[in-house]
Amino acid sequence: MPDAAHSGEIPREWLDEFEAAARRPVATRWNYGLVKTYKPVLDDAEYRSFESMEEYRQWCEANLPEWLGYGRV
Amino acid sequence: MAGFEYRQAEEIRNAFAGQGVRYLFLGKSGALLLGYPDTTQDADLYLDRSPENGRAAVLALRQLGFTLDAQQVAEIERCKDFVQLKNGPFDVDLVFAPDGIEQFEDAWRRHIDVEGFPVCHPDDIINSKRAANRQKDRESLPRLEAFRDYWLKQRATEEDA
Repeated sequence: MPDAAHSGEIPREWLDEFEAAARRPVATRWNYGLVKTYKPVLDDAEYRSFESMEEYRQWCEANLPEWLGYGRV
Repeated sequence: MAGFEYRQAEEIRNAFAGQGVRYLFLGKSGALLLGYPDTTQDADLYLDRSPENGRAAVLALRQLGFTLDAQQVAEIERCKDFVQLKNGPFDVDLVFAPDGIEQFEDAWRRHIDVEGFPVCHPDDIINSKRAANRQKDRESLPRLEAFRDYWLKQRATEEDA
């Protein structure tokens, strides 16, 4: 896997992926990219709303499993 | 689970355009439209904050098949900062005040049109994710930044041609 820090030169593996994606029609990019998998808690309500992004972030940190990655670093 | 197909993205585009909604695709769904190869679950839509725009968005969402009760309508019309909708044919997040982007007008000025989809510039997508500072966003930033560099280079090449 390429080095996590992006230092300027694009790793070959990523460049190949970008070039392959660039050749795909927009519809194909979308259909490949939108993948629905169940996210516990997050997908358990049909509607949520928050007065601020901070409120939303705090809700995520308080309610979502840590492995979903919604907690702030 | 039902997917979120391109024709449905087109329905968003057409319904929002029909109602005159001012919005931009943000997040990974925006990046996907620009050509970034990755996956996501829903569309993140950045909406201009105004009562008129909120009302137009409600009309468009109902047209798309979202079931909205009176309270939900009121919250969208008053542009509550963040609204998660999973009560329709696909999942959509409405973001009226994204982290890392000061003004909708600034993002609009920089936006990219992709087959009629108004998409945030990659820099705005990156700034938004950087400002959110979530674990999952931090992990994806290096690759997204690399894509931004690739995308800029491709654009420059196309413009010179």
